[in-house]
Amino acid sequence: MDNLHSLMIVLPEVSLAALGLLLLLVGLVNRSNTTHVVSALTVLSFIITAATLISPHRLSFLMGGTAPVFAFGTMFVDDTLARFIKLLILAASALSVFLSGGYLENHKIARPEYPVLILFATLGMMLMVSASDMIALYVGLELQSLALYVLAAFQRDDAKSSESGLKYFVLGALSSGLLLYGISLLYGYAGTTDFVKLSFVFKDAAPHTIGLTIGLVFVTAALAFKVSAVPFHMWTPDVYEGAPTPVAAFFASAPKMAALVLFLRLLREPFMPLAMEWQQIVVFIAVASMLLGSFAGLAQKSVKRLMAYSSIANVGYALSALAIMNKDGLSAMLIYLAIYFVNTLGAFGVIISLRKQGQQVEAIEDFAGIAKKNPLLALAMTVFMFSLAGVPPLAGFFGKYFIFLAAVKAGMVPLAVIAVVTSVVAAFYYLRLIKVMYFDESKQIIDACPCFGVRATVTLAALYMIIFTVWPQPIIDGAIAAISGFIRG
Amino acid sequence: MISGLVADYLPILLFLGIAAFVSVAAVALSFILAKQKPDSEKLSAYECGFPAFDDARAKFDVRFYLVAILFIIFDLEIAFLFPWAVALGDIGWAGFASMMLFLGVLTVGFIYEWKKGALEWE
Amino acid sequence: MTLPLDLIAVFAPLLGAIIVGLGNRALGDRAAQIITCALMLCAATASVMLFNYVALEHHVLDRMLLPWIQSGTLNVSWALHIDTLTAVMLVVVNGVSSMVHIYSVGYMSHDKSIPRFMAYLSLFSFFMLMLVTSSNLLQMFFGWEGVGVASYLLINFWFHKTSANNASIKAFLVNRVGDFGFMLGIFGCYLLFDSIQFTDIFARAPQLADTQIIFLGHNLPALTTVCLLLFVGAMGKSAQLGLHTWLPDAMEGPTPVSALIHAATMVTAGVFMVSRLSPLFEYAPSALAVVAVVGALTCIVAASIGLTQFDIKRVIAYSTMSQLGYMFFAAGVSAYSAAVFHLMTHAFFKALLFLGAGSVIHAMSGEQDMRKMGGIWKIIPKTYTLMWIGSLALAGIGIDGVFGFAGFYSKDLILESAIASGTWYGQLAYVLGLAAAFMTAFYSWRLIIMTFHGKSRADHHTLDHAHESPLVILLPLVPLALGAVFAGYCAWNWFGGEGRAVFWGHALFVVPERDTVAAAEHVDEIYKWLPLLMGVSGITLAYVFYAVKTDWPAKCASSLGAAYRAVYNKYYFDEAYDYLFVRTARKLGDFLWKRGDDGFIDRFGPDGVAGAVVRLAQRASAIETGYVYHYAFAMVIGVAVFISWFWLKG
Repeated sequence: MDNLHSLMIVLPEVSLAALGLLLLLVGLVNRSNTTHVVSALTVLSFIITAATLISPHRLSFLMGGTAPVFAFGTMFVDDTLARFIKLLILAASALSVFLSGGYLENHKIARPEYPVLILFATLGMMLMVSASDMIALYVGLELQSLALYVLAAFQRDDAKSSESGLKYFVLGALSSGLLLYGISLLYGYAGTTDFVKLSFVFKDAAPHTIGLTIGLVFVTAALAFKVSAVPFHMWTPDVYEGAPTPVAAFFASAPKMAALVLFLRLLREPFMPLAMEWQQIVVFIAVASMLLGSFAGLAQKSVKRLMAYSSIANVGYALSALAIMNKDGLSAMLIYLAIYFVNTLGAFGVIISLRKQGQQVEAIEDFAGIAKKNPLLALAMTVFMFSLAGVPPLAGFFGKYFIFLAAVKAGMVPLAVIAVVTSVVAAFYYLRLIKVMYFDESKQIIDACPCFGVRATVTLAALYMIIFTVWPQPIIDGAIAAISGFIRG
Repeated sequence: MISGLVADYLPILLFLGIAAFVSVAAVALSFILAKQKPDSEKLSAYECGFPAFDDARAKFDVRFYLVAILFIIFDLEIAFLFPWAVALGDIGWAGFASMMLFLGVLTVGFIYEWKKGALEWE
Repeated sequence: MTLPLDLIAVFAPLLGAIIVGLGNRALGDRAAQIITCALMLCAATASVMLFNYVALEHHVLDRMLLPWIQSGTLNVSWALHIDTLTAVMLVVVNGVSSMVHIYSVGYMSHDKSIPRFMAYLSLFSFFMLMLVTSSNLLQMFFGWEGVGVASYLLINFWFHKTSANNASIKAFLVNRVGDFGFMLGIFGCYLLFDSIQFTDIFARAPQLADTQIIFLGHNLPALTTVCLLLFVGAMGKSAQLGLHTWLPDAMEGPTPVSALIHAATMVTAGVFMVSRLSPLFEYAPSALAVVAVVGALTCIVAASIGLTQFDIKRVIAYSTMSQLGYMFFAAGVSAYSAAVFHLMTHAFFKALLFLGAGSVIHAMSGEQDMRKMGGIWKIIPKTYTLMWIGSLALAGIGIDGVFGFAGFYSKDLILESAIASGTWYGQLAYVLGLAAAFMTAFYSWRLIIMTFHGKSRADHHTLDHAHESPLVILLPLVPLALGAVFAGYCAWNWFGGEGRAVFWGHALFVVPERDTVAAAEHVDEIYKWLPLLMGVSGITLAYVFYAVKTDWPAKCASSLGAAYRAVYNKYYFDEAYDYLFVRTARKLGDFLWKRGDDGFIDRFGPDGVAGAVVRLAQRASAIETGYVYHYAFAMVIGVAVFISWFWLKG
């Protein structure tokens, strides 16, 4: 009976895992359109999982679904926060699959493993955000990471892609090592890996022993690596540049959200009694990320590296929201993520769709003059760049606005000031891209790929950026409800 | 007095001691008892291995690693099955079902690698 | 009054300006001319009817239009306030303006942007009407600035001419100086009276006559200060000595503009303002003294410059300035009705002179230099006659008690009031005014003789094309000529005679013991005859100089030497201003631009920050070496730093 209850709680994950295994076998059928079919089925699996996740039957079984429910002892937790972010993750993964089709075929790497790997990475993320125990956390994180390593190196005949996969793997292994070491320290000093029990231990352990603090630092560092926050960000530009572009798009969206929410859960639940300690770290890495992401981005020539620095800066904003700690700040973070992942996927979609003599467009200067040949694409990119730069009335403005507002309300004015200043600096590189598109003379012929998936994604994302302005309520309400259900009083 | 916690780890200490003894004994006995008559063929690496002291940048066949990795997975499966088999009486149907699921997942992986041709040398 | 005459009189020109200004080329030249002229004529007719209703039937009209500013105690509305003073101004403005509109149809017929010109003219008229109908200082200032803008646009109408550009900028800048004084005056009024509504100010002025304000540690008489500041505004707009340099240059605009704006209406705004504020100025006698002295000096200085100029329009321009001087010293000796009287008559004959001069220029294919004219009175006899009438009116010719041209009545009234005031500045003004009257007559006939008589000095080509102007140019001059002949005679009773008190009602205010206009009737006969004597002798001398002994002017000039050169060069005002203000400002601007802006703000501000950001970006991007062990090292350092931080913090 207890196990049945647990199974009901993890039903979305279980179904996704089962579907993933099934798709792995489906992918073995050696047909020319196998990848297409598996991709479509993967998206369908995401939809099924999302439907299971929020199906009224399951929620009513979980007593309405507002209070957190635990499965398998206290390994796994299902609450409003987890459900909200899982929906976003599923959406981001599905859009990433959409974005990939044309690219994979063009580079002759269309293999059915690709969508399946995205599926398993997604499964890992879902486990991560629902983890309520260090062991569950680690398992989820590794499931995600291993899939991502392979994805980064997916274009295995390409030296850059292999290099990026290897770099990601080596550094990821280091961070996993840090994480495990931190977990073992915590376990050694606290005697438990359970989040709830850990928080009690920390509450009593004042003055805090240095061992617990070191454990906290190690775990934090590992998570900072996953969200690519400074100074654990070094892999990001290289990996984004080397990995296939749709993979970079995926990296910039779903895993970032998962890791940030995991970060949030860790800091708010087991580490909450140590808030004074970790808040300083988070503020530091947030500020460092915003500064580095904004400034280093100015000097980039490759648009993928530019997007990497952009993602570093954006993670900085999300971490600032996290550092605020209160309900305002955390819901601002969720709103920010909900806007950012669509924004970045859309921008990557435009990058993916541009080709120069069949090759992928990489350099910023290749964008010159595309406004003349592809006015709609240029317009969409303009929307994304303006939104990333935080120009009202596009969605990106509201994302930043809520964070700055929460920071000022919480009395963290210097943080807000730094965030504003860096967003001004970063605006330069976003606007430069627009300038290049509209005002520079093109030197070579740039085509847009006619792939349906990419076009649909770009269109949807651009519309979302605009529609959010007039109808932001679902996202805002959802984020506030997610945080209220999570913090509870 | 040895504290309870350390006492719990005593079997491991014993295990380490025995393992060290057995491995040293194996090498030492073959060194002492066997006839030492090396030639170039005997000194070269086995077919599945590489020269231990050579240029690290040399090309090698990735299939060795593939086989090794696949072996490790199933090797670990056995390591997982042993304690399960011992405790099966205590963990009941839930335990049984869990292992079946685990084996099912492994089977999917096995089918996958088989169909992909990872087990074929040529 | 069944029709809303006040609204028609004020807003018909605005309507015309909007329709024609926005319609512009789409409307076409002819339609633009018809619309603006028709609307101006409507406004003029309404003004005459309004004059009858307000000034002759003794009503005062107040119409609230819209609330404008309500902030604390500051409460300003758009409103029309029409009393006798306004009614007189309405007739003058709309009358002259409508004539100028019609005249422009002919005069500007060869121009490429007729609708623009007509729209500007109508717009100007509207602003002038806002100025004169205001019931508070702010709306007056609105009109004041509006006419400034319109004047700027019209002086620069031929914007392809560099001289027109310079003249318009000069006019605008010099007027800004005056406007700044006006603004300070308005602030001062608000400070003193807590209101800028005329009724409030006038009601409280007597109580505050002796108030002091402290400025920079000095005690200043409040009312005098405020009045002087307001007068600085009037000086700018009315080209009084010191702020007059823009007016002669403003002749770069088309001649109808000179007639309407720079002779008949806008430049008299200062006189109107002082008259309108008479209840305030009356309690600041020191300010009045300043007004009188400045007016008298302007009067003589401008007249003397006028003696030496050769450009036909400039002569009339200096004449205008000189006549404005008369009006101001009249106001300075509390003879406001005399000032407004002269304002009215001057509007007629000076507009006539300007438009006549325009007709001459038109006939001479654009030639303005009198040295290249002469002997054309037979070719353009009608213009010649009209110029005679204008000059007679300007010189103030007439016989006391019988008949005189318009200027005779008003100028004599001013001079008599000045001597009757019994003050030192009144006497000074009388003497200077008398001298100016002599000069006025002299330069007027110098103009007539040089232009129309003697042997022609124009080249054959010009002379062959010389022709009398068409009817559309000459016809508008007729009402003005009638005004120049009869306005003084007909209106004498209202401005200087028995009907004065009833006519004005409460529009003007004079402290009883300083009622100089009343006292003017009782001055010695000799003072009444002297102006006429001066006029006649001026005419005679001009005749001798330019018709009989034609070598005298040159001899005279050479024997006077430096003095002549000083006058001819307009007393070096322009040069002095150029040296004192223009170059200094330029040097300061240069310094602030090169050293201040480029050298400091840009260098350390935008450029410096941008440069620093670029360097920082390159550094930040250079951290990315591509080596995994560097990356791993950075991570380890990060962890180490965090741990050290906590360890050090304890």
